[in-house]
This record gives sequence, structure tokens and C-alpha cells, in this order.
Amino acid sequence: METAGGLILFLVGFFTLASIASVSTLGLNICWGVTGLFNIGIAGFYAVGAYTSAILTAEPSVPSNPHLGGFELPIPVGWAGAMVMSAAIAWIVGKVCLRLRADYLAIATIGIAEIIRITFRNWGAIAGGSYGIHRIPKPFESWPQPWAEIFFLLLMIAVVVVIYLVIERGINSPWGRVMRAIRENETAAAAAGKDVERMRLQAFVYGSALMGLAGALSAHYLKQFLPEDTEPLTATFLIWVMLIAGGSGNNKGAILGAFVVWGLWTMSEFLTDLLSAEWATRAAYIRVFLIGLLLQVVLQFFSRGIIPEKPPVIRRGETNAVKAEAG
Amino acid sequence: MTLLTAQGMTGGYGGMDILKGVELAVDAGEIVVIVGPNGAGKSTAMKAIFGLVHLREGNVTFDGQEITNAQPERLVRAGLGYVPQERNIFPNLSVHENLEMGAYTRRDDIAAALERVYTLFPPLVEKRKQAAGELSGGQRQMVAFGRALMTDPKVLMLDEPTAGLSPLFMDEIFDRIIAVNETGVGILMVEQNARQALEIADRGYVLATGENRYIDTGPNLLADREVVESFLGGGGGNVGNGNGDANAPEGSGDD
Amino acid sequence: MIEFFNDYILSALILGSIYALGAIGISMIYAILRFAHFAHGDLLTLGAYFAFELVDRFRAHPVISIPIAMVTVAIVAVGIDYAFYRPFRKSRPIIMVIASFGIALMLRSTFQLLWGTDDQYYWSIQPPLESLEPFLVGAKHLYIGGAVIVLISATHYLLAYTRTGKAMRAMSDDPDLARVTGIPTERIVIWTWIVGASLAAAAGVLLGMDTRIKFDMGWNLLLPMFAAAILGGLGRPYGAIAGGMVIGGLEELSTLVIPGDYKSAVAFGVMVLVLIFRPQGIFKGRVL
Repeated sequence: METAGGLILFLVGFFTLASIASVSTLGLNICWGVTGLFNIGIAGFYAVGAYTSAILTAEPSVPSNPHLGGFELPIPVGWAGAMVMSAAIAWIVGKVCLRLRADYLAIATIGIAEIIRITFRNWGAIAGGSYGIHRIPKPFESWPQPWAEIFFLLLMIAVVVVIYLVIERGINSPWGRVMRAIRENETAAAAAGKDVERMRLQAFVYGSALMGLAGALSAHYLKQFLPEDTEPLTATFLIWVMLIAGGSGNNKGAILGAFVVWGLWTMSEFLTDLLSAEWATRAAYIRVFLIGLLLQVVLQFFSRGIIPEKPPVIRRGETNAVKAEAG
Repeated sequence: MTLLTAQGMTGGYGGMDILKGVELAVDAGEIVVIVGPNGAGKSTAMKAIFGLVHLREGNVTFDGQEITNAQPERLVRAGLGYVPQERNIFPNLSVHENLEMGAYTRRDDIAAALERVYTLFPPLVEKRKQAAGELSGGQRQMVAFGRALMTDPKVLMLDEPTAGLSPLFMDEIFDRIIAVNETGVGILMVEQNARQALEIADRGYVLATGENRYIDTGPNLLADREVVESFLGGGGGNVGNGNGDANAPEGSGDD
Repeated sequence: MIEFFNDYILSALILGSIYALGAIGISMIYAILRFAHFAHGDLLTLGAYFAFELVDRFRAHPVISIPIAMVTVAIVAVGIDYAFYRPFRKSRPIIMVIASFGIALMLRSTFQLLWGTDDQYYWSIQPPLESLEPFLVGAKHLYIGGAVIVLISATHYLLAYTRTGKAMRAMSDDPDLARVTGIPTERIVIWTWIVGASLAAAAGVLLGMDTRIKFDMGWNLLLPMFAAAILGGLGRPYGAIAGGMVIGGLEELSTLVIPGDYKSAVAFGVMVLVLIFRPQGIFKGRVL
């Protein structure tokens, strides 16, 4: 019975974290899959959301661990606040950086995320420095185990489902169709009179808000949040692998990818746990290596949908000539 | 003898067919001109010959070899040169280096070839160390032309060589084209200035909406009123009023 | 004044040179292959570790190990390109960016696997200071300075006087026109990797000489190197050198006004400013 209980708790934990990851992948899908924005700054927005919610909802700070707030507001306020803060930061970042081409945007978002992370780590007065923020409330935590965990999981699943439905509505709306047009051929969309910049900004903001929410959900799940929790490997890179593996542009794929890749990641942890102690630390690196390799394999062999042929080269200045020639 | 033949060329950008069964031919030492209204597919036809636009049907042969959809490197080695209409020089390389790049595929001594180019385009001599991007439009065109000549082509394809040039430069370029042709290089040229081009052409092809319409010698085409009025009046093409007035004012597009 | 030199100028020069060497590769790869190579920093680290093995196992002098490391990393880079980037030559460039991000991860984890996470050094004790009193210039600074001068001169010679170098500059100007001219583009691509990767390897060894060898040493320099390349104008190798020196200088001098932790913000800030106000950089490189 004990092992069954242990197994149940493990599975619940697994699915909970996978669900939280799905929130990130769904957010990333809005940026990348639908609009073609390459946001490597996931970890940054994740951190913003987590810390915001923590500050809003946690118990007041203690002298040994000073941080801003601990306003003990209700949890939903924290989550809403997380999304709003992430959206706000994304809005500022987007206003500045979105006009950049995809590669530049990638570099820029890495830089932003790094700066955000460093800021939080050094901002002792606001974010608790390297000690982080603790005693964050968790939904259902007063309930007996394993029901507390199970209901938290159910709540996560509900969140994912709601987000999925909202996004699906959005994608199939006129808004979504314009988004996809922009992704496929920005020049044509602009020529058709669509306000490309504004819509890209919207996508960026919505997507980042979801990443912030994921951060908040994590913080509440773990009941604490430290700078290490924003480690780009899991917070950013793994999310990317999840999205690409699941087939980007596709919300179901985003969720599926999250679960599958999280499964692989967890399994690899199992396998390496079986190794002797001497190999234990090395095992972690092997896992990272394999994830990187998995990404290459997926990119080369399993991602028809995201590797279209380059659109025909239309050089500046020749555009009108080509249009005329093609007319 | 016929060096370049293209038959039944069908294809275009993306999924759309711009060319619908176009045929072209260039004999050794000929000047062949492609004219027609905007959107006729003239530049596209040339790009298709050079493998830059995918042909889903049709074939192209050069000097006895099949070259349909072949890689440009192979074509240059075979003796087919190409000067695109725009972005046809390396702006950050000097004039001299641009010419050297033209000779990249050659293994022999290129000093003589360089001499020939500088003799043909004297203004380039004093600019040889200057970055090509700093030159005027007409001089850049010379560099582009010279670069292609360095590949020692048997046939040279020029895409609107006089586009954006002042009338004075236009004449100069045409003179150079004739001079090059007299050394034995075949010329295939797309031109908006149809009239002047056809005057120097051995043969002309009139294209419209991706198809051949007329094939004849240059002078014959110019003399045919129907051709002139129906097909040579479009866009920046300048044919005057079609009654053979050689001195009709010819302002070309933008400078 | 002397102190200013010792505290700031010297480190600015060294850091700037390291950025410059790395930025050349990033700049050329961007212009010729049209993607931002996210694994470039790890090529630096790879060079540093190769050299470390030579120093550690074979008692080689670190300076001697530089050329060997350069050759080895060049070979590895060409191999990586063949296996992981070449399949995407005709795809949207962003795919190669993603792939390179994954390669960076694979390289970094390999470093941790093979060499652990502790700091390593080329010298167990620092080599003695050459007597250039009162300047605090050590032997290692002279090695670094000498190596930088040699490498940049060699690169200049390659780019300005050899056929391959000119073809690289031509492709960097306009890859499509280069194709049309008959330049064998795939071969020039390989040369680009060779040059870019070997310079990165050298930069890594120099960085290791100056500070320490650690698995993430190159990765941490990625942002400043990108900033340097963008500042100088993508595809302009001399621009990359200038950009590197400027970024290095700004970063070191910035410690006068802001806390050291935020150094990366300097490079980032410069980069964003350049991208907004003068995206083609100082020397007018590629924008798109």
C-alpha cells in the first residue's frame, strides 16, 4: 500500500509539473507557432510571474529573509498579478525589440532574461536575493494528503484546459488568421493593410503573460521560489524542445510535447539515479546532452511543419519588378 | 552554331507559373534581345536559364550540355555569364577585387583578361582600388559587366543593363555591349529600352504574359507596326511614337 | 594615471581583443550563413579545454597550444556544421539558430562531463611579472598581446590578399551574387567555419590564460560578442574587431559607475541601441 501511495504521489507530481510546463509551451506557441516570434527569454518572464505572485501572496518577510511584501493577498490575485506584470514587462520589451528580425529578437530576449534573472538575484530587498521567497500559499494545502496534491493537479489541469480553449477560440478567430498570415509572409500581410507591429506585440504580450503564469503556478506548487528555479535549462530550453517535439503551431502539440518531453526528462533522471554514486553528477550532464541531441533529431527528422522551404528571395527594390513580372 | 537553347520553359516562383513554355536561342556571336511589356516574364526567363528560378517543365542546353536547373557554379565554368539587374556588384570589395571575383573559377592567368576589361571601361582604371559601392550608377554597371566578362563567357546574359541610367550612359553601355560582342561573345539581353536594343540585335524575342509572341530579327521587329504598338509600349519602354523617329526624346525610368 | 591603466585600460584591451576574435567569426557566419550562431561561445571554451589538455598532459606551453587548439576546433566546427547545420541550408535561418542553441547545450554538458565544474588554470602559479614597472603587466599579458597581434594580422592578410579571403568577403557582401559569379559557395562556407572557429578557439585559450578555464566561460561571452559583431556591422570583419574593442572598453569602464554584476547589461544596452538607431552598425554591414 505504501508503494502504491508513493507511486500515486509520484504520478501526481509528474503530471502537475507537466501541466505547468504546458502553460509555458502554450504561451510560447502563441509567440512562435502562431506568429513566428522567437522568444528565448522564457525564463525571464517565468521569473517575473513567480516573484510577483510570491510577493503578493506570501507571508510577510522576516528579518532573516527580507523581501518586498508578503502581502498575503488571495492566491488568484497573485496569479492575476503575475500575468499582468509579465505582460507589462513584455510590452516594454516588445515595443523596443519586436521590430528586430528573428535572430536579433532571439539575442535580445536572451539578454533581457539574463538581466531579469540577475536583477532578481541581486535585489535582496525586493526578491529575497539568493534566498528567494518562502512560505508561499498553496491551494488546498490544508487538505489531507494525498488529496491536497490530487486536487492541486486537478486545478492545474483545469487551468490548462481553460487556456487551451481560450487560445483555440483566438486562433480560429479573424485575429488568429491574421496572425498566421503574418507568420507566413509578413510583407504580404503588411501590404494588405494589417497593423503587423501591433499584432506581433499582442502575441508577444499574451504569450509572455502565460509564461509568467507558469512561473506563478510553479512558485505556489513548490511554496517557495529561488533564483535557481529560473535556471534557463529547464525554464527555457526544455520548453522549446517540448514545443518543437510536439509540433509547433499546434496547441495540442504544445501540450503533448510538454508531457512527452517531461516524461523523457524524468525517465532519464530515473535511469541515471540507478547509476553508481560516482556517476551521479555526471549523469545530470549526460541528460542535458541527450536533450540537446533530441532537439537535433527532432529538428531534422520529425518536424515537417516547422521547416518550410525558404520563401522565394525577393530582393528589395526588385519587389515591384517581380510583382510586375509575376502579374 | 547555336550555343544556348531553351525550350518549353515552364515555371515560376513558389507554385505559380510565370513562364508558360518559353523558348529562346542564342547562336555564337549573336546579340539576342528579349523585349515585352511589364510582367511578361523576361527577367524570369533569364533567371530560369541560369537556374535561379525552378523550371518544372522544359529544358535548357548550353554548348551541348544539358543545364536545366543546374547550379550557377557549373554554368559559369561552362561559359555562361550573368549580370543581374540589381545588386550586381560586391559593394565592399574594390573594383579590382570585384573583377578578380569574376575570375574565381578560372585557373589560367587572368592578367590579360583584366587588361581587356580596363581597356573596355577606362573610367574604372583610376577607381580600381575604390570600394565598388561608392561608385555612381553607371560606373557600377561597368563593374558588373566587367566582372561577368572576367568569367570568359561564351554567352553573356544581361538583365536590363541600362536600367536607371541616364541617356548618355545608356549609349555608352550599348556601345560596350557591341564591342564585347565583336570579340565573339554572344549576348542575351533583357531590355526595357526596346527600341535601342532591337536596333543592335541580330534577333529579338517578344514575350508577353509568359509566352513567346514574336521571333524575328531586330530590324524586322522594329519595322512591324503591330509589334511596336501592341508590345513595346509598356512601362518604362521607350519606342517614341512608333513611326521610326530615331530622335524621339527618350527619358528612361529613374536615374 | 598609471593606476587607471592598470585597473582599467589593460583589462579593457585584453577583454576587447578576446571579444574581437570571437566576434569576427560570429559576424562572418551571420553574413555568409545568415544565422546567429549560438554555439560560438562554446567553441571558445572548446579551444580553452583542448589547450588545457595539452598543457596538462604534455607540459606544452600554453602559447604553443594555441595553434593546435585552433586546428582541432576548426575541424570539430566543420564536422558540427556538416552534421547539424548543413541539413538546414535551405530552411528558414531561425531553425539553424535553434539547432545551434542545442549544440551549445551539448557542448557545455560535454565540458562538464569531461572536465567537471571546477575552475582550471594553465599555470599552477602565475608566471612572473615582466619588469615593466610600474605597469602591472605580466608575462601572460605579453603572450596574450602578442598572440592577438599575430592573429589579427594573419586574419587581415587572409581577407585582403588571398583569393579565399576575398571570396569570403564577397559572400559576406552578397551570397546570392557570389553564387551567380560562380564562386563555390559550399567551399567558402567551410572556410568560414575554419576561420571563425579557429579564431574563437584562440580567443578561448587567451581568455583561459587571462582568467580561468570553466565550462561556461564561452557561453557567458556570447552576448557581448554578438553585441560587438552587431556594433561593427555584421559581415564586416574589421568592424567586428572595432566592435569588440569598444564593447570591451565600455564593459571595463562601466564598473566605474555600475556594480560589476550588471556588466552584461552594458553589452546588451549597446546592442539594443545599435539595433534601434543604426542597425547596420558602424561599418555598414548586413541588416537583413
